[in-house]
Amino acid sequence: MTDPLLESSFLRKLDRLSILTRRAMAGDIQGERRSPRRGASVEFADFRPYATGDDIRQIDWNLYARAERFYLKLFVAEEELSVHLLVDTSASMDWGEPNKLRYAQQLAAAFGYIALSNLDRVSVSTFGAGPPAATLPSVRGKRGALPLFGFLQRLVPGKGGDLAKTCRTYVQTARTPGPLLLCSDLLDAGWKDALAAFSSRPFEVTVMHILAPQEIAPELDGDFKLVDVEGGEPVEISADIGLIQRYRENLATWRAEIESFCTGRGMNYLTVDTSVPVDEFVLSQLRKRGVLK
Amino acid sequence: MSLISPLALLAAAIVGPIIVAMYLLKLRREERSVSSTFLWQKMVRDVEANAPWQKLRRSLLLLLQLLLMLLLVLALARPFFQTQGISGRNLIIILDHSASMGASDESPSRLEAAKAKAIQLIDQMPDGGRATIIAAGGSMQVPAAATSDRRELRRAIDAIQLGNGGGSDLAQPLTLASALAAREEDSEVAIISDGNVSVPSDIRIPARVSYFPIGRATENVAVSAISLQPNQNSQTLFVQVTNYGASATARRLDIYLDGAIFNAYNLSLAPDPTHGQSIVAQIPPQVRVVEARLDGADALALDDRAFAVSTLGDALHVRLISLGNRFLETGLSLLPGVRVTKAISGTRTFTETITQIPVTIIDGPSPAVLPPGNLLFVGPIRSTDYFSVTGEIEFPSLRPVVGDDPVLRNVSLSEVSVLKMARITLGSWARVVVDSDGAPLLAVGERDGRRIAVLAFDLHNSDLPLQVAFPLLLSNLINYLAPGSGAEASQLVPGQPLAVQVDASISEVRVTRPDGTVANSRDGGVQIRDGQAIYADTDPLGVYVLEALRDGAVQTTHRYAVNLFAPKESAITAQRDLTVPQTSGAQSTISRTRDGRQEVWRWLALAALVVLVIEWLVYQRNGLVYLRQRWRERRAAAPIRR
Repeated sequence: MTDPLLESSFLRKLDRLSILTRRAMAGDIQGERRSPRRGASVEFADFRPYATGDDIRQIDWNLYARAERFYLKLFVAEEELSVHLLVDTSASMDWGEPNKLRYAQQLAAAFGYIALSNLDRVSVSTFGAGPPAATLPSVRGKRGALPLFGFLQRLVPGKGGDLAKTCRTYVQTARTPGPLLLCSDLLDAGWKDALAAFSSRPFEVTVMHILAPQEIAPELDGDFKLVDVEGGEPVEISADIGLIQRYRENLATWRAEIESFCTGRGMNYLTVDTSVPVDEFVLSQLRKRGVLK
Repeated sequence: MSLISPLALLAAAIVGPIIVAMYLLKLRREERSVSSTFLWQKMVRDVEANAPWQKLRRSLLLLLQLLLMLLLVLALARPFFQTQGISGRNLIIILDHSASMGASDESPSRLEAAKAKAIQLIDQMPDGGRATIIAAGGSMQVPAAATSDRRELRRAIDAIQLGNGGGSDLAQPLTLASALAAREEDSEVAIISDGNVSVPSDIRIPARVSYFPIGRATENVAVSAISLQPNQNSQTLFVQVTNYGASATARRLDIYLDGAIFNAYNLSLAPDPTHGQSIVAQIPPQVRVVEARLDGADALALDDRAFAVSTLGDALHVRLISLGNRFLETGLSLLPGVRVTKAISGTRTFTETITQIPVTIIDGPSPAVLPPGNLLFVGPIRSTDYFSVTGEIEFPSLRPVVGDDPVLRNVSLSEVSVLKMARITLGSWARVVVDSDGAPLLAVGERDGRRIAVLAFDLHNSDLPLQVAFPLLLSNLINYLAPGSGAEASQLVPGQPLAVQVDASISEVRVTRPDGTVANSRDGGVQIRDGQAIYADTDPLGVYVLEALRDGAVQTTHRYAVNLFAPKESAITAQRDLTVPQTSGAQSTISRTRDGRQEVWRWLALAALVVLVIEWLVYQRNGLVYLRQRWRERRAAAPIRR
C-alpha cells in the first residue's frame, strides 16, 4: 500500500502506447476502436438494399438517382475494446524475490492504464485463489485508473483455487470478449485445461508466464525438504549440480510445451523473469512481441 | 592377531554413536519453502526410479565415516601378528651370502628369501631400534652399521649379492657381532643362513642368538674336481662328480672341448659326499678349454659346471746358477711344466727378460749382478743386496714359525736334519717360514718388486733331498716364486686374484671375463704394479682370458678357470639348528618362542587416509560434476578451436 504500483514517469510513457489487436473486436458502446459492426462514423463501409423499417435518413439519395432503388449507406462502427486482466493470486505467486504477485500487479496496472488511456473498458479478475474470485467491474476512461490501481493493490494471495475451473467460469461469464492478459506462473497441474478454456470464445489471449529468478535457477546445494507454499506434498531432494541441471532442463521443456500449446491456439506467450524491471519489460518486450503499439 | 592397546577400541564405542547421532540429526533436512513443488515433483519421479541407489548414496557418507573411524580406532589399538622374530633393540643381522645361498629351492633363490626375511626383521624392529647388517660368507661386508634408518637398511640388504668365493666361515662375523652386542644392552643377533657354515667354538656371544634357516632342498650333484694334465702328445682330463644329496641319482656328464661336445657319460651316483665318481679321458693336445657340464638341473646350478684350461706348452723357464747340484736338477726336472736353463756360474749379464725367465735359482755363490726376476737363494755364501751372511750355525734345529704357510703345504720337516747352515740377517721385507735357533732357515718375501726366497743351507749338508719333503718344498717354492704359472695355477677359486708377471715393456693387460666383458689396465680394471698384473674380480665362475699387449699386439695369453670346488657349499642341506655358544649358556639357536611382533597399524592408517579422501570426494561431488562438465565442454570445444 505504501509504494505506488507504477511510477508517474512510467505512466507518462504508457500514455503513448495502445493495445494492439489482430482483428476488429466488438464492444458495448461507442469508442475509438474499429468494430466489425456497422454504425455511425465518418468512414464509409458498404451499401445495403433498403428494407422496411430502416432509418430513411440513411438512404443514399445519389445512388437512388442513378439506380432508382433505395440503398442504405453504411458506416464503420467505432466502439470501445473490452480489455480483460486476469491476475493469478494463488499462494505460489506471492513468492520470489522480486515478488511475482507484485510483478503481476504492476504488469496488470500498466496494461490496464494503457487501455484506459485509450478509452477502452477494463475489467480485472483474480483467479487461481479460492472462491469467490475478486473482480473489478469494468471501468472506463482515465477516471477509472484510480479504482483499477486501488483494486490491484488490495489483492491478497489465497489458497485452494482451481486454475482451470476459475478460468472456465470467467470465460463463460465475461460479457464481451476482447484482449485478455493472463498473469500467472502456471504452476498448477491444470494449466493446460485453464489455457484451453479461453479458446472457446474469441479472446485475444496474452499469457504472461511470470517466474522468479529463484525458480528459473534455484541456488540449492545440499539436502533439503521443499515445502510447497500452496500446501502440496513436500519433496525431499539432495541438490547437487547434476540435479539443478536436470531441473533447468525440465523447466525449459515445460516452457517449450506451454509455448507450443499457446502458439497452436493463437495465444501470445511471454516468459517473464521478475528480475527484469517492469517498465523495461513493458516498453521493450511487449512492443517487440506486438502486444502493444 | 592381537592388540597392543585394546583399550583404544573403547573410543569406537564413544565416537561411533556420536557420528550416528549427528547423522540422524542431519537427516532432518533443512526446510525450504518454494512456490510450488510442481516442477520438483516431476524430477523426483525421474529420480525415484533408482531409489535404492539414492538411499545408499544418502547413507554413503555415514558408512564411509564409520569405516574411517573404525580404521583409525583399530590403528590406535595397534594390532600385530605373532611371528617368529626378534625383540632386541640392537639388532645384528648376519646374512649368509655364500655360494650355497644361490640354490633355487626357495623362490627365486635362497639369498632372495634370506633378504626378504632380513627385511621382515627390520620391519619388526621396535621404534628407535638400531640394526647392523653383516654379509657373511666370502669376504665379510658390513653394508649398514648401527643405523635406525629403515630405508638405508633396506637398501643395504637389497644390495647384497651372492659371493661365490671364500666359503662360509662365521668366525669373523660372529666376532664382530659379539663385539657390537657387548657394547649395548638388549642386543640380539640374527643369523639368516642355510646353516652350512662353520661356527667357531671358542666364542661366546653376549646376546641372544636367533637362527633363521633358509632352504628346503637336500639333493645336489656337483662337479667336484676337474684337471687337465699335459702329457707328451696329449692331455689327460680328470673329472670328479660327487653326489652331496641324501639319495642315489643318475646324471649325465657332458664334456665340451673348446665349446664343442666331446663325450657324454651317464653316471649313477651314490649319496656319498666324500667319494665322487671319477672320469679320466685322453683329449687332443690342441684343446685349450675343457668344460664339464652336468645335464639336467638341481637346486644349486653353480656347481654343475666346471672348467679346465690347457697348460700344454706353458712351460715355466727357470734359470739355475749353480756349480753343479744334482739334487736340484733332479728335483726341478720332476716338476711338471718347468724347463731349466743352466747359466754358467760367474755370468755377469742376463739378456733374457722377466717374461722369458721369471725365476732364477742361485745355488751357492751368487753372481755380482743379480739377474732380473724372482730369486731363490740356496745355501748362500756371500751377502747380497737383500741379506747379509754373518756366520754359520751347526746342527740347527728346525722349527716352522707358521703352521699352515703355503710354502710348507704338505711338507713335513720333522725328519730333516741339517749339518750346518749360514747365519743370515734379513731385512724387514722377509717373512721367516722356518726358524732355527734365532736365525732364519727358510724365509720368503717381496722386495723391489720381486719375490725372494732364501734357503739358508747347502743341500749337500742335509738329508732333505733324500726325503719326500724335498720335491714338495721345491714345488711350493716355485709356485710362490712364479705365481700364475703351471697347471695348478690355472685353477682358481672364486675371489682369488689373477696374478701374472709382466715386464716393463707390456703396455696393456686385458682380461676377458666369462660373460664376455673386458677389463682393461687402461681404465683401471686390471692393475699393473711392481711387474705384476693383478685382476681381483673373479667372483663369477668360468674361464678368464688374460692377454698382455705390447703396442696393441698380443704378446702372451693366459687362461684361468674359476670353479666352485667347495664341498661345504655344494652340500646344500639346510641345517635346522646352529650351535652358537652364548654367554647365557644356551647353545641352540632355534627360536622357541614366537616373540616377534609384526605391527600393521601403518596399513590401517593408510587405508584410513584413502577412506578419508573418498569420503571428501563423495561429499564434494558437486566439484566432481563441475569438473566433468568442464572437461566435456572443453572436449566439445576442442575440434572447433582446431
